[in-house]
Amino acid sequence: MSPPALRIRCARQAMAARSLPFSPLIAARPQKEFEMPTAGPFGAAVKRVEDPRFLVGQTSFVEGMVLPNMLSVAFLRSPYAHAKIRSIDVSKALALPGVVRVLTGEEAIKRCKPIRVEWKESKFEVDFKPCDYPAIAVERTRHVGEIVAAVVAENRYLAEDGVELIEVEWEPLPAVVDPEKALEKGGTLVHEEWGDNVMLHSHIRGGDVEGAFRQADVVVKGRFAMNRHCAAPMEGRAVVANYDAAQNGMTVWTSTQMPHMVRTKIAEALDYPEHRIRVIGPDVGGGFGLKCHIFPEELALSLLTLDVKRPLKWVEDRRENLYGSYHAKDDICYAELAVKNDGTILGLKTKFIGDVGAYTSYPWTPSFEPLQAAMAVPGPYKIHHVHCEALAVATNKTTSSVYRGVGLPAAQYTMEHILDLAAAKIGMDPAEIRRKNIMKSSDFPVTSVTGLYYDSATPLESLDMALEMIKYPEFRKEQEAARKQGKYLGIGISAMIEMTTFGFEYWRAAGLKSVTGYDSAHLRVDPNGGVTLTVGTFNHGQGHPTAYAQLVADGIGCKIEDVTFIQGDTQMTPYGWGTWGSRSAVAGGGAVIKASEKIREKMFRVAANLMEVSAQDLELKDGKVQVKGVPGKSMTIREVAQATVYTADVPDDDEPGLEASYYYKAPTPYANSTHIAVVEVDPETGYTKILRYVVTEDCGRMINPMIVDGQIAGGVAQGIGQAMFEHHQFDESGQILTTSLMDYLIPSCADVPPMQFGHLETPCPISVGGIKGMGEGGAVAPPPAIANAIADALAPLAGWKPIGRLPMSPEVVRRQIA
Amino acid sequence: MKKTIQITVNGKSYSRDADTRQVLADFLRDELRLTGTHIGCGTGSCGACTVVLDGRTVKSCCILAADVDGQEITTIEGISTGAQQLHPIQEAFVEFQGLQCGYCTPGMVLSAMQLLKENPNPSEDEIRHGISGNLCRCTGYHFIVKSIQEAAKRLQASK
Repeated sequence: MSPPALRIRCARQAMAARSLPFSPLIAARPQKEFEMPTAGPFGAAVKRVEDPRFLVGQTSFVEGMVLPNMLSVAFLRSPYAHAKIRSIDVSKALALPGVVRVLTGEEAIKRCKPIRVEWKESKFEVDFKPCDYPAIAVERTRHVGEIVAAVVAENRYLAEDGVELIEVEWEPLPAVVDPEKALEKGGTLVHEEWGDNVMLHSHIRGGDVEGAFRQADVVVKGRFAMNRHCAAPMEGRAVVANYDAAQNGMTVWTSTQMPHMVRTKIAEALDYPEHRIRVIGPDVGGGFGLKCHIFPEELALSLLTLDVKRPLKWVEDRRENLYGSYHAKDDICYAELAVKNDGTILGLKTKFIGDVGAYTSYPWTPSFEPLQAAMAVPGPYKIHHVHCEALAVATNKTTSSVYRGVGLPAAQYTMEHILDLAAAKIGMDPAEIRRKNIMKSSDFPVTSVTGLYYDSATPLESLDMALEMIKYPEFRKEQEAARKQGKYLGIGISAMIEMTTFGFEYWRAAGLKSVTGYDSAHLRVDPNGGVTLTVGTFNHGQGHPTAYAQLVADGIGCKIEDVTFIQGDTQMTPYGWGTWGSRSAVAGGGAVIKASEKIREKMFRVAANLMEVSAQDLELKDGKVQVKGVPGKSMTIREVAQATVYTADVPDDDEPGLEASYYYKAPTPYANSTHIAVVEVDPETGYTKILRYVVTEDCGRMINPMIVDGQIAGGVAQGIGQAMFEHHQFDESGQILTTSLMDYLIPSCADVPPMQFGHLETPCPISVGGIKGMGEGGAVAPPPAIANAIADALAPLAGWKPIGRLPMSPEVVRRQIA
Repeated sequence: MKKTIQITVNGKSYSRDADTRQVLADFLRDELRLTGTHIGCGTGSCGACTVVLDGRTVKSCCILAADVDGQEITTIEGISTGAQQLHPIQEAFVEFQGLQCGYCTPGMVLSAMQLLKENPNPSEDEIRHGISGNLCRCTGYHFIVKSIQEAAKRLQASK
């Protein structure tokens, strides 16, 4: 790895019983202690086995699929944010040569149930209102981009011609666009049956917050408006659906992160036997949370292929992706922080108002954005008194749902930026106020004031490492010298604790029955020793084919290249929940490790029987099963596989064959990290250049450190996008103004600085293998690091002023000193 | 409306009837089945559809197939003989994890190749600006830059 990767192996945490000040909302099930790894494939920076074919263009993305007799689908989408459909005339479209079928909402709703999430019981204090979300709008549209009709034609060009020929008589209605106005009584309602626009309301309370505030020397307040984001994966969504008469069933290829969930929901919506639906997730060109939903388009194509009995294809264009898929992270955050003059944090009050758009996405509901923010906002700090309120507010905008980090960016920005505001107010250095309040490794395990069970973490150690890497004291000198020359440099810190995996107990506590936190692996060894691994998670760039193969190789002694990796095909893989929420290394990896253990145990039984020794005396070494300390007495993996699978030389009470499954009820481990940005701001133009960027990360035992660094780097660029570039603009009528990548700016290579990574490795005490997730943190921490750095840079000009709006475009930065 | 075009793609000559409104990216993908050229935006903003046209990189989603009659094109399928025999730039991408989901990768590799042709020994800043017409959402570019730096070294050494 090229950047100097500092790797400090932390000693395993002492797990002494400690009195927990708060009772955990989410119980943790301690796992058996893991064994420290031997030098082997688990932990090595192995090159990714899946990469070469992508580099030569040999891929299976849905957009490249061709089936005989295939037709194309294009969608008519609402041009209004809120409108009644008085009538639709599709006759001209149907008369166009090449158009085969047109489907409207009135017809679709009779045969396709709307998407709906019920959420009635929860250990969290939540009040949630469900709504119906039809695949194709019926009578009324609630955001620009909502589907009004589907046109099936011989090719996409003709399908789009057909879309243009549909005549709709619209009755535009007043739209509710501003989430705070949406909360006022007597205004427009997005869903009339609710009586207001509140999809979710939740309170999270801990300690005695009013008492804490009474003792404060200083109370700082802020309002921070996050930007309206979207995941914008380079490959948009895409679906091919094919009714196959020979199978009396259908196959749906979709660019998804959750193939099994998609199958289950298609079956439910269409009342079609689930076992006759095969959903296949082929190569997927990025997802970042966007593709872990059931989408109206998936339902519409499934319904239509049953009608026309021909394969159908829809490939989302970028305009559709930007206004017709889902948005995310559009929160307004109010916060008050009570501190003592010595920097001690006493209490925190926050209110997150999430603008969640028009409908409830399945399976998450959009309300997890503000809810997660409220749960996560105390971060890695010793805060004992909080009141965190979360509101998810419906508006006539594109539905908002989950995208890398889910709620954590708003929480992170709020906590880290208001902490610097407090530091500025009491005249304390930002690094010092953090060092004073942050938890250190010996403070764990601990239950947070918001009820989260933090299994283990190294916030102080990670902060100190980052400060050392960025050379904090030296920077302060450099900054002072630069200021004398009229150059405005600034430094910003963002320390975070990252909820990962969202495991089984998490969803049990949440009570949201649409999702579960287990995952699965199945291993089958062939007579030649080759291994087929099928999993329920879904790689779309995270390196699972390599990382999981490392775990299998570690567990059963085969070579990485002996493992064939299969995912995403519901007919071939065990039921699983796909890839989202930084879960795969823990949930999928844990299942792979446990399935490998079962294989290893059986290999030992077979080998022990054949070598006439006790299985307890065997070990796995150099790709062989050998008698401990007797290298000469061994069998190769291949020999054991032959004996077990082919010649069936197994003990009398054992069965032939060498395969194993494991369904792992994954835990919810916490990773942690510190990001530090150094920026230079041009006060004339507001242009900000990030000069240096350091990340120190502790994600437990790393399966493949190269992949970990790649995940951090990719996350940081998305975080920089949030901090400085990306925002979906709407006008007052609810019309979206950002429908191309020329308007919605995602960072280019020239916008992203070189980065430096440091690692701590605190093995997770509650997960199989000591693994924690880490996929999202990289994207969560950058905005406040950059905001704090900009505020620091501009402090000599206008005093330290908080930045209340993202993205920090040159205009926003200029206003800080105007 | 159709127009007959004759083009050379990856050294092979084709004569095809192209719909006059078909963009080059669709022509390559649908008519010639060269699906390594991806379409990420359709407006020339992301570079996933980058191909080399008569020695320059172009975004093939913004060019009509009918307009490239008589010209020569290189796509990702044309720069090596396959996954077993990679070009040094592709090798460096494997070694330094210059890709994650792989969707922007073909365009990125072609832009990198063109950059190194024009500037065999680029600075980090020149690399960052040189590929800024190709968007990647996964990698944060960090390891793409490392990959290109390594590729430059290898190509220099092999001269």
